[in-house]
Amino acid sequence: METAFSSGWSSALVGGADTIVARATPAGRGGLAVIRISGPDARGVAAALCPEVDLEVGWVARLGTLRDREGARLDRVVVTSFPGPRSYTGEDMVEISVHGSPWLVARALEAAVAAGARPAAPGEFTRRAVANGKLDLVQAEAVNDLVRAQTAWQARLARSQLEGVLSKRFAVLRDGLVAVLAEIEGALDFAPHDIAYRADEVRRGVDEARAEIAALVATAAAGRRVREGLRLAILGPRNSGKSTLFNLLVGRERAIVSPHPGTTRDVVEAEVEIGGVAVVLQDTAGVGDAADPVEAEGMRRARGAAAEADAVLLLWPADGSRPQPEEAGFGRPAVAIRSKWDLAAGSVEDGWLAVSCSTGEGVDALRRALEAVVASEVADLGGEVAVSERHRAALERASAELEGAEVARPELAAEAVRAALESLAELTGEVASEEVLDRVFATFCIGK
Amino acid sequence: MVRDVVVVGGGHAGCEAAAAAARMGATVALVTLHRETIAQMPCNPAIGGIGKGHLVAELDALGGLQGWAADRAGLQFKVLNASRGPAVWGPRAQCDKARYSEIMRRVLGRLPRLEVVEGEVVGLLVGAGGVTGVRLAGGGRLRARTVILTTGTFLGGLLHRGAEREPGGRFGERPSLGLGAELAGLGLELRRFKTGTPPRLARRSLDLDGLQAQGGDEPPRPFSWRSRGVRNRVVCWLTRTPELVQTIIEDNLHRSPLFAGAIAGVGPRYCPSIEDKVVRFPHHRQHTVFLEPEGLDSESIYVNGLSTSLPRDVQEAVVRAVPGLERAQFLRYGYAVEYDVVAPHQVGRDLAVQSVPGLALAGQLLGTSGYEEAAALGWLAGVNAVLGGRGEAPWLAGRERAYLGVMVDDLVGREHVEPYRMFTSRAEHRLLLGIDSARQRLMADGVRLGLVRESVFHVERRRWRARERARETLEATAVTPDRGTRETLRELAGIELRAPTSWAGLLRRQDLDVDGLAARAPALSDLEPEDRRIVVGLLRYDGYLARHRREAARVERLRSVAIPAGWEPHRIPGLSREVVEQLERHRPRTLAEAERLPGMTPAALAILAGRIAREGAGG
Repeated sequence: METAFSSGWSSALVGGADTIVARATPAGRGGLAVIRISGPDARGVAAALCPEVDLEVGWVARLGTLRDREGARLDRVVVTSFPGPRSYTGEDMVEISVHGSPWLVARALEAAVAAGARPAAPGEFTRRAVANGKLDLVQAEAVNDLVRAQTAWQARLARSQLEGVLSKRFAVLRDGLVAVLAEIEGALDFAPHDIAYRADEVRRGVDEARAEIAALVATAAAGRRVREGLRLAILGPRNSGKSTLFNLLVGRERAIVSPHPGTTRDVVEAEVEIGGVAVVLQDTAGVGDAADPVEAEGMRRARGAAAEADAVLLLWPADGSRPQPEEAGFGRPAVAIRSKWDLAAGSVEDGWLAVSCSTGEGVDALRRALEAVVASEVADLGGEVAVSERHRAALERASAELEGAEVARPELAAEAVRAALESLAELTGEVASEEVLDRVFATFCIGK
Repeated sequence: MVRDVVVVGGGHAGCEAAAAAARMGATVALVTLHRETIAQMPCNPAIGGIGKGHLVAELDALGGLQGWAADRAGLQFKVLNASRGPAVWGPRAQCDKARYSEIMRRVLGRLPRLEVVEGEVVGLLVGAGGVTGVRLAGGGRLRARTVILTTGTFLGGLLHRGAEREPGGRFGERPSLGLGAELAGLGLELRRFKTGTPPRLARRSLDLDGLQAQGGDEPPRPFSWRSRGVRNRVVCWLTRTPELVQTIIEDNLHRSPLFAGAIAGVGPRYCPSIEDKVVRFPHHRQHTVFLEPEGLDSESIYVNGLSTSLPRDVQEAVVRAVPGLERAQFLRYGYAVEYDVVAPHQVGRDLAVQSVPGLALAGQLLGTSGYEEAAALGWLAGVNAVLGGRGEAPWLAGRERAYLGVMVDDLVGREHVEPYRMFTSRAEHRLLLGIDSARQRLMADGVRLGLVRESVFHVERRRWRARERARETLEATAVTPDRGTRETLRELAGIELRAPTSWAGLLRRQDLDVDGLAARAPALSDLEPEDRRIVVGLLRYDGYLARHRREAARVERLRSVAIPAGWEPHRIPGLSREVVEQLERHRPRTLAEAERLPGMTPAALAILAGRIAREGAGG
């Protein structure tokens, strides 16, 4: 027997009634800049900018002349019309490629506004794509991730999320819970028609959903590492060569380097790429007996950084000294190094790598060891999906609801499953309140 | 003479509309083809059920008649889902159809200011300001400030049985043909729906002895606060279709108007004909059939579960294949009826047609199915016709307050592809909307509208206050772990009481036999058995109830918010085009008014509220 439900909420999110315009490429000088126009009058606005281009035929790039608001010629441009709904936003869209001069772009935007378009808010194009069902909220987030991707892993994760891999897992999870709810509601609303309440079926469905949520939540840590960078702290006594090693790794890896300002007593960070993963490398103050309160504070911070890092690089000189037990990696995966090996004699103990920053001896082995640690820390992604903080919070809310489900009392089990479904719906934007949408789109750049 | 209200149609919607309006002091004419066909039950001989019983309880708390009439005509009373918590209890009464109709006719006949007019409405009187009355066959006219149409399945009604086709509103009655065209002429969008009914069999021809008999609850529970005692007077019987039925139907499917394509209307998924069931659930080898008497002295047995529009010979073959029905004689064959409905998004939440002043609609004409849905909508239309005539705000209920609110909101705000039937799963605040709380939620409104006596309200209030006190006592008193109590708990629930706990805490955790415990829990022993189960049931709902109450309070607050003038709805992101159009056309001044617009969703309302809150904060 089929059951009809209604949660009382429906997705009432449709695109705007006005036409928006923005540059889709970064601000500043460049070879080309792309101007995007979307909305019911996209073609009208574009026609004001490039009067002689035929915009009725879609998905064909055409050469045209860009004119300013007075009609004066500005540039030779390439214009592509995307009639809705087969466009990024699902609305009528036009993209104009101009030469990448900020002055030219500013004149073109001026002309578009004069023709009736409104400057787009950050993320507004993608927001309209969500509103028109072209993307769900999870995919929209991936668009932002992809735009910001700086490493191979970030791009890979964003691409799979944009392709809907994560959305699909959420959808399967949701469908499973809808089936559970149908089971309950069928038994409650059709009690006289021989439909027995199968508590064991409901229990099974709830447990399956919770297991899937747990599996998804488990990817959150890896997701954070990929999106924000895996934190790798260098820890060791004073004068063990930590800063030398730090500079060597930052220089050698040729990744984006942005050392934060700070005293030598503080934690210094730089972003590098190791094995396709963004890594935030942290140089710290040397540990040992503190001479003064400032140094003591530096050591406290060093230990704090190591304790919160995803992995720790232990750097001790080749003099047989060892980390204190509480410093030995803080339970994190660790790579242990004997530094200044060029100054030492004899052989290195098991489990330690011998490295000399001045001769370069052992540096390749160190890099391989670091790549192995990094790879093992993102391995739980399974190469496919990783949930973001926003996803994790919603999933955990759903799981908490399900955990409290009183399966023996169907009308209460239904409450728990409905509440869990609401959390999931918020996740995919199906019943997104305006606040959720605002939060998601707040981080977007304009033109996306 | 210009009456306040003219109601067209004497079915369940029409009766409640006319009675409510007249009792509120309006002058009313109820137009029906024949006085004898008032308040008929053309399909199953029962009122209530799960979801539907909730509507009856609410209507009763508001001063409607259906629950009381069902109590008077009741033959067997049963609360469905009685083993579950109070939110999903669904009271139902098998009724004597003739007596139900007779009771309703008598009540209507006694109401001052209400005149029953026998006649056929052939059209509407339409002036510049909207509808001003109705035209009767034979040239008569009835003028009214508001016309409420409750014509059920009569609009363009067409009966089907096999290849037989006959215009009709229901068995043996002519359809209304002109009125539909006139509504279309007023610009209203019509849709075609379908419903059906099973055969009626002669009781003396059935072999009931071998079948499973089903009695009512003891003691039986009446619907209405007006009813003192009710009695179970009949039993029903249960049988099942054998596999042979599947074969018979499959062999004759080409002769079914449903599957041969003769019926264009869409029928309800949840009330399928037997041919539907066989096609859609081929893996179900058996289908349950209930045999229900249509009256105390009636020979007629309603075959619940065998709704069909197959040809007569196939109906006979199917019925006679069922155990107990081998020698069944047909009093009437099953049939399907196709009819026009007015797409309900065209009425507001007060059930007035938005584009045609002076016209309101209720009942099956608006696309619902069932006596209970019709009655509740009829009551609402009648009350609002009177309030509108006085220039007062309409009576509305939100989704968080009543099933009536859920139903109207669903009808007005959503697309419907099949007749609408009430289910508890449609109410997201189901735990707040049990039959236990119907009077608490709505009776004060019944009093205010003049449809419930204030003295009754005070009696009822004492009852729910006693429940509240009992609950407080259960929270405050600890279970004394004396020997007697420990033994009782061990016997009833198999639990060993070690640490002291409050009664409420114990009852929340364990499914205990409440009546068995009552002797040990003084707070419970003073209550009626039903109230005991309500108190305990609600204890178990606690956490969820608190959440729903917060949400309900939030929605209630929304309603009082004013919308600033000079607003541009199309500039608000997140609203659907339909909602934007409605807002621009009607320019509501408060969120309460906005909510009344067709197509408005709770989500859209929340977006509006959020926008107002932010603009207000930012100046």
